[in-house]
Amino acid sequence: MNRSPIFSSGLELGSFVVTSNVLHHSWAAISELYGEIHEPPSWDSPVRFRTFQQPNCTIIAFVTWPPCTKEHLQGQGRGDLVSSSALKETFPLFEFLCTKTNPRFSINKPAIDLFVSVRGVLNFLKSQISNKPLIITGHSLGGSVASLFTLWLLDKINLATTKRPLCITFGSPLIGDDGLQEAILQYSAWNSCFLHVVSDRDPVPRVLISPYNPTAPELASPTNEYKPFGTFLLYSELGCACLEDPESVLVLLVATYSEGSGFDYKDIFQQLNGNVICKDSTKVDEWIAQPLQAGIITQLGAIGLGRLQQLQQQSIDMNTLIRQTERRERKWLIRRREVYDSNVLSEMKVYMAQLEWYKKCCEDEEIGYYDRFKNAFDSSDIKAQGFKKSLTCYWIDMVDEVEKKPQRNGAAFTTRWLFAGTNYRRMIEPLDIAEYYRDGKTDYMAKGRSKHYTQLEKWLSEDEKPASRPNNSKKQNLAGGLTENSCFWAYVEEARISCNVLSNGESNDMDKHKRSLIVFEADVMGMLNNYAVSPEIFLNRSSFMKWWKEYLEIIRKGIMGPSHTSPFTEFMQNRQYRQYAPGCL
Amino acid sequence: MAGGTRVADIIGMRDDQVINKACSFAMKDHKPPAKPYILEKSRGSPDTYFFIFPGSWLVSDWFAQKPFGETKINRPDNPPKFPSLRSIGNDEVATVNDAFLRRFEEKILGASDFKEKVQKAETDKKQIVFTGHSLGGSMAILATLWFLDNCKFDKTSPPLCVTFGSPLTGNRIFSHALRREKWAPYFIHFVMRYDIVPRLLLAPIPSIEKEFESILRFFATKSVNKPEEAPDFYRTVMTNAASVASHAACNLMANPNLLLETVTNFTALSPYKPFGTYFFCTGNGKPVVLRNSDAVLQLLFYSSQLNSEAELHEIARTSLDQHFGYENELKKMQDVVDLKKLETLSYSAEATGSDSATINSALNDLGLSTRARLCLLAAVEFEKRKQRNMDSIDTKKIQKEITELESYRVICKTRLMSCYDAFRLHNSPHDFKANVNRLELASIWDEIIEMLKRYQLPDDFEGQKDWVELGKRFRRLVEPLDVANYYRHSKDEESGPYLGTPGKPRKPRPKRYIYTQRWLEHAQKLPAESSGESHFWAEVEELRTKTSSPDGFEQVKPRVLQLERNIQKWVNGEELGKDKDVLLCQESILVKWWKTLPDQHKKDSAFNNLIY
Repeated sequence: MNRSPIFSSGLELGSFVVTSNVLHHSWAAISELYGEIHEPPSWDSPVRFRTFQQPNCTIIAFVTWPPCTKEHLQGQGRGDLVSSSALKETFPLFEFLCTKTNPRFSINKPAIDLFVSVRGVLNFLKSQISNKPLIITGHSLGGSVASLFTLWLLDKINLATTKRPLCITFGSPLIGDDGLQEAILQYSAWNSCFLHVVSDRDPVPRVLISPYNPTAPELASPTNEYKPFGTFLLYSELGCACLEDPESVLVLLVATYSEGSGFDYKDIFQQLNGNVICKDSTKVDEWIAQPLQAGIITQLGAIGLGRLQQLQQQSIDMNTLIRQTERRERKWLIRRREVYDSNVLSEMKVYMAQLEWYKKCCEDEEIGYYDRFKNAFDSSDIKAQGFKKSLTCYWIDMVDEVEKKPQRNGAAFTTRWLFAGTNYRRMIEPLDIAEYYRDGKTDYMAKGRSKHYTQLEKWLSEDEKPASRPNNSKKQNLAGGLTENSCFWAYVEEARISCNVLSNGESNDMDKHKRSLIVFEADVMGMLNNYAVSPEIFLNRSSFMKWWKEYLEIIRKGIMGPSHTSPFTEFMQNRQYRQYAPGCL
Repeated sequence: MAGGTRVADIIGMRDDQVINKACSFAMKDHKPPAKPYILEKSRGSPDTYFFIFPGSWLVSDWFAQKPFGETKINRPDNPPKFPSLRSIGNDEVATVNDAFLRRFEEKILGASDFKEKVQKAETDKKQIVFTGHSLGGSMAILATLWFLDNCKFDKTSPPLCVTFGSPLTGNRIFSHALRREKWAPYFIHFVMRYDIVPRLLLAPIPSIEKEFESILRFFATKSVNKPEEAPDFYRTVMTNAASVASHAACNLMANPNLLLETVTNFTALSPYKPFGTYFFCTGNGKPVVLRNSDAVLQLLFYSSQLNSEAELHEIARTSLDQHFGYENELKKMQDVVDLKKLETLSYSAEATGSDSATINSALNDLGLSTRARLCLLAAVEFEKRKQRNMDSIDTKKIQKEITELESYRVICKTRLMSCYDAFRLHNSPHDFKANVNRLELASIWDEIIEMLKRYQLPDDFEGQKDWVELGKRFRRLVEPLDVANYYRHSKDEESGPYLGTPGKPRKPRPKRYIYTQRWLEHAQKLPAESSGESHFWAEVEELRTKTSSPDGFEQVKPRVLQLERNIQKWVNGEELGKDKDVLLCQESILVKWWKTLPDQHKKDSAFNNLIY
């Protein structure tokens, strides 16, 4: 089949970022902040920050004074990492990054120390944020503080209702390990909040890449502890490109370094803007037939690898570099473009329709699908079991997906999904309960219930929804409905066990069982008043009706006390339930 | 392929005369106060009538409000002047430069004999050509659009719109809607490689406002001395063009980095996009032809890039001069290079090869770098991807499911029930099978709608006869089942009436029916919301609830009457298909409900006769 070629849009994204003015505004804020500092530089480089209210955005800028240098970063202990478990004790603001699949991460110690030094003003800074778009920016170690502040903020704001903030760092060192990288990268929305601008002449962002040796770089050293995240805008006097694949970022940060003095991030705008309206000079040789490769070559050219002396100085084999970068980019793009296939949900709907039919057929046999599934076993039950299995696998995965996300991000579950999930739970959980009690086990609620049901139920209760009140439509259409409490049958089974105990009369827990029966009958009455149970429970051969007969026996024996009566017992004895299904109560 | 093609071949004319004449008419210096339009006649078979629109050098004629001065093309009055300029399913109306639209409405449509003259020309079977230079080009575009949407014309000799150095006029819906209506080929735009005017509106007004006045003064006087603002003006326009082009290119390349979106929040991008057929004039008499508007947008930027910063002053001057270079260029015109087969193009500037050689040299004439070529290629691939998306729709499966549901309808009929009533009761295995068919269809159609929402299907998709027809069949057959399902499961309790509550944006009615209904209404030029034959059951259900209370009937009487009229109309027509025979049998929900209505109403209602 004719497959579509893959493109790499690093140059275009770079050009868009450059022409969008965000860099310009950010650096202007940083320069202004530097300009306000008058005291002499000190060794401990305290953090300075300020909020700038612009007409169409808010900018929060961070710097350290003096700005950190290569030598500073190479000092004793400057590359140390603090683990999330150590942070938990002293500074638990980043706990939310730990998830089931990614339980640990580490952050550069000097960076986190600087962030701790401003912890007192975090809430003040947050209060400065209006509904204007927000840029958080910083230079060098100030950029590290900006990154940490942004991370902290991502946990505090609701991304569903607020526009994502944009964190722009200029020449900042890497700040975390693969755990931190993984925590941010798994949410492309989070990752997209970080833009790291790096000049080919700036050593600072490269110092913590180990082993750091600009004269003989070991490309992609596996022992490097520091890992990048976010998007990197690498630039040289030839142009710029945006890169997101973290492996390529690491390799190209090292490869593009061009030692030399006298650069300043303030020149970036004039230089890059000028570049934008001029043709790029990288020409691709005749043998190129793949747009991805052509794209990679032009990008590498723009970020400085088009310069011959650069390649010689670093003894880089350009062809190898192109091939490797292309391979990584292809892998990265394919991974990022894998979108969730919405068709699967439709397939699940078909399974649900099949089970609905199963339920309907059972009712025609006067038994109800719960008891049918529990007792009989013919081909239609086996088929139902197949559908149930597919549905359960799907929903366990779905719930797991959502749970893996950090806290306060659970809003990923849209109302539509939640409806589907609730329907699923109400349809399928009774079948799980049937299997459980068929095997002679007891206490489903405590010992047998799968976690994904609990979670789905919790999400439903969190989803603000007015309490459902009975109305005409619900009454009239009761016949096709499902019992709202998906654990109803577990309560029935437990009630039957209680009846059994009571009628045998040999237990020390008689009172407990009596109490639970009274609670149960009251609960059922409540559900009936709300039309919250399916009328199938009154079918002749249902477990519920069996329980009622057993319970009636116990009442008649006076075990529940002399002349025990309740709204529920009256309801049952007067056979009012016959009016329940047609909605005539 | 490329050799020997002439402009006339591309636009379907006998020779280049029409273009040359249009050019010399359009480029004539129309001294103010210019007439709103000028009519020139040219003998031939048939005669050609040129409607020429002069431009304007007043800033206020170019820009209305800030930052981009766009407005919806259909003013909130009734009926819309440009009913076709929208996307059908999404119902997104095109936007246009407000100053241009106002000028067109006030000076040309409102205060001249343009309407009568153009209608007369059509009745007399003249070949009509709308043309203009600079802002006059935009007037010609609006005049043509108005003509296409409001006058009957012979499809074998359609009107032609020829513009020279016209500014961009409308947003991306222009291109989308015109390709759907198959009108795009009627629009021919000539653009000189460096002419600044066609790029102008890619920049926000505040960024160029200062310089623009003196630039226009220069255009008006054609003085020898170039304004000193020229370099800054060129730089600002091009930087903004770069921003628009690179943003578009990221999307064409399917860029997955969400940073694009994050940064877009901080910047205002021009909404204007090209449409129609573009002739890029390279200066050597061999214009390059493009029809893919995404590719045209890229070329608008890349073809006037500098080789180096040193060229800035020279190119900035050229960018003004070339706005008047069209007549000269057309005199030189020989063959044109058609980029239809752009996909064969090699990405490198040095590449040679038998077929791509001509194209390659044309791209070199336009000064396209490797990067520019990659963007062009991405635009071509993007278009192909839309086609592939369409090809991937499983129409066989749609047909199969629909056929099965049609036999379900026959089965229902033998049970003396409409499929609505049968499905609502849902007590036979047939109903259950029909439900599975319904869900299978829903999943395919929802995917189609999803692609339409993102404009991932070919532009003409919603205008294709086969799809309009299939959509109609699907909607009429399946929507009653969806309505039945909705009320059977009491979903109205949680989500309100099936058709939505007035004033609330969320409608429970699935988009697959809303869209397919709009397709039909557009194709048959029916009023919006007029073909609701597939969902009248929802109204029955709603009224059924409403009239169950004692004074309920009086409150909804107008709705009851309307429903009765509609059903009568549809029963007499073909809209309800085979269902109409069983619709009104005694067991139907409709009849059962109707019988509960007050006796006085029943006696007077013409509906009485229908019920047997």
